[in-house]
Amino acid sequence: MIDYILFYSGLTLIFIGGICDLLGSLGLLKFPNFYVRLHAATVGAIGGAVIPLIGVSLVALGSDFLPNKYIIAGASFITAIIILIIAPTGSHALAYAAHRAGIVEWKPKCDHLERDKK
Amino acid sequence: MKRILTILLIFVLIIVGAYIATILDINPPQKKVRPLGRLYLFESYYGKYSAKSPEVVTSIVWDYRGLDTIFEVTVFFLAIMGGLTIFRIEKREKEKIKDLKIKYSGGLTIIVKIVTKLLTVMIVAVSASIALHGHLTPGGGFQGGTALAIAPLLILVAYSREVLEKHGLTYIKAVLIRSVSLLCILVIVFLPFIHGYYLLQNQPFYPVKVFGQLISGSLFFYNFFDYIAIGMGFTAIFLYLSIPEKIYRRIIEVSKG
Repeated sequence: MIDYILFYSGLTLIFIGGICDLLGSLGLLKFPNFYVRLHAATVGAIGGAVIPLIGVSLVALGSDFLPNKYIIAGASFITAIIILIIAPTGSHALAYAAHRAGIVEWKPKCDHLERDKK
Repeated sequence: MKRILTILLIFVLIIVGAYIATILDINPPQKKVRPLGRLYLFESYYGKYSAKSPEVVTSIVWDYRGLDTIFEVTVFFLAIMGGLTIFRIEKREKEKIKDLKIKYSGGLTIIVKIVTKLLTVMIVAVSASIALHGHLTPGGGFQGGTALAIAPLLILVAYSREVLEKHGLTYIKAVLIRSVSLLCILVIVFLPFIHGYYLLQNQPFYPVKVFGQLISGSLFFYNFFDYIAIGMGFTAIFLYLSIPEKIYRRIIEVSKG
């Protein structure tokens, strides 16, 4: 019973990841300026890589047909956590550098970083 | 228009040629292992001319054609030395630019810094596992060394060059460690020769297992020292490339007078 729950919840997470990837790629193409596009890319990285990897680990735990299923589950879970740490940091560094260089054309309603610098 | 037609013609010709070659079965894909391949697959762990390593690629690279790999490492060493010769700053030049102070802007934000601290430890661990398991799993000294060199590169980007040098990783130290580990590789090459075996000989001379762990004779030592040598060589290159352009400009200006 618990195997079925793990398996199908893992499949659901992989499905959610696919939707996130689709939305992220659409946003990357259609959003107006750099920061919002970066947001779409991060949706693709977190929703489209971390969540499906956790799903893969759940599927591997709940399956009875995979050899070495604990190795697959552990490796994908650790990879998910590492991506969860790294991907937002990369986006943060990119956005910070772009804001500092001041090369992005945008009309912000409010710019807290600019206000804090003053 | 003419160019598009030409490209289209070449494309069609390639497809038709591939189709004809497939139908006539000119070059059928290899389904069996060739006799030479079977020899290597068998002899790398079992057999008379064994390297005692289950990883066939490593045993070919560091044992069967080990002399070639030694010279590859030497060529890489020469390349790094050539780069360092171009980018060097001599002592008398250093004294000329003493008054030039480059302001340290404080590096990137605190988020990036903390994640870099975490990542550096992880990268060193993963690269060590790639290199030290090189005789058991795919990987080896060169791959592990290139992964190791990412750690100082990350610190260079997130903090600065000064922070790295303040904590003791100057380019002179990097080059020194690299030279010492290359010397260790040469010692491992010559040690069997002194004891009456051939140059670079692995198996009867070096131990297969240490404390019950398979180390495949000299392959483990080659991988380990190559790992340190490659990592430190790339670190020296990164340290040199991160010297600001201002310093070189000032040196040229001063020496012109």
